[in-house]
Amino acid sequence: MAHEEWVEQAEIYGLGALDGDELIQFEAHLAACLVCDGHIRETRENLAVIARSLPPLTPPPQVKARLLHQISPEVAPSMREKTRSGWFSWGISAGAFAAAGLVLALTWSLYATRQELHTLQKEVASIQTGSILHETSIEFLSDPHARSVHLKGLAPSPGAVGHFLWNPESRKGILITQGLPKNTPDKVYELWAIAGDEPIPVGTFSVEDKPHTLLKIPSLPQGKSFDKFAVTLEPAGGVPKPTGPMHLLGNV
Amino acid sequence: MSAQPINQATYLIQQVAKQDREAFSQLYDRCSSLVFSLAMRMLKVRSDAEDLLQEVFVQVWRQASNYNEERGSVEAWVINIARSRAIDKIRSTRRMEKSFALTDDPARAESSDIVESAASESETRLTMNSALANLPETQRKVLELAYFDGLTQTEIAQRLAEPLGTVKTRMRAGIQRLREIISSRAA
Repeated sequence: MAHEEWVEQAEIYGLGALDGDELIQFEAHLAACLVCDGHIRETRENLAVIARSLPPLTPPPQVKARLLHQISPEVAPSMREKTRSGWFSWGISAGAFAAAGLVLALTWSLYATRQELHTLQKEVASIQTGSILHETSIEFLSDPHARSVHLKGLAPSPGAVGHFLWNPESRKGILITQGLPKNTPDKVYELWAIAGDEPIPVGTFSVEDKPHTLLKIPSLPQGKSFDKFAVTLEPAGGVPKPTGPMHLLGNV
Repeated sequence: MSAQPINQATYLIQQVAKQDREAFSQLYDRCSSLVFSLAMRMLKVRSDAEDLLQEVFVQVWRQASNYNEERGSVEAWVINIARSRAIDKIRSTRRMEKSFALTDDPARAESSDIVESAASESETRLTMNSALANLPETQRKVLELAYFDGLTQTEIAQRLAEPLGTVKTRMRAGIQRLREIISSRAA
């Protein structure tokens, strides 16, 4: 597909209207394309004018009051203060109640902090993956000799897509996939470069919980002219000849 | 090296990222009408629009540090959060309606809490400064269905009984025309 067509899809994606296979394929492309990322940003900025030109409506003041209350960190402590200033005759039981409340609040706070930490860890991991994808893809996209092969999902994974970016001169390449099912520990996905009827193993990778996977190929075999690339699911460690089901296939 | 000037909204969001409640209050005052108008236009139910407004600003409070000035204006960022959340709600409601076959329920259409879509649409059309008003009817229609109603290109083609390719062409032409309008206003 010519890159101009991806740019056209970027505009519809920015509007939120892309769907079906086009959406899956575009998101796989987007994972490696800063140009399209820029077009999406620009489209969303332009489309904001639609919202800005609506007749302005004033929200009721209660919404702001609720919102400020919701983000207030002082709610729990102020309740504790109120409890402490109560009648002394209720002192022991109220104190015990307040202490129990405090323990509950601290337990909840600890749980919430752990949850937040877990979320942050996932976000950092996602950002790191995105950063690697972008850095690697920039290297390829800025190279006039680089070629792109789109791999379509076959019967075992019809919703999966892949993109293989490679340079026939330097023999370096990267494979980006999306939508492949997570493999079991005894299996691994294997990328094949196919020259005529001869499949040549290029590298193996696993699919975990992330939406995209990235496989860097430091050196494709020399002296071969490849006309297809494919991904199969094979026994862990990989095999010299494909034995398992083919999940992705693309023609050069 | 001279310091880059930053606009007021960008300054506020940077302060919000530091959990500055006063800056958050000012940012709310600045953007809440915009978000509420959009929420009313998309969700059509006042209570839903109020809930969405609250949800959007809670997200702004929690994720202000994610805002990147290089990726667009603060307003566009907030609008994008609001649209994404509204579209999620619209699509969720649509799925439920399909499941329970309530789409043609006349009682729902007569609910007093529901804002008349047609009235809202005509208000939009009558807004003198509306960017959409400057688009040809065919382009405006597809952009409205996608932007406000959260329909995808395929759903719009089905709704309008037009070929998918025609819908795509009109969308891209409409976006291109908006870009030209914005550029000419900025010039």
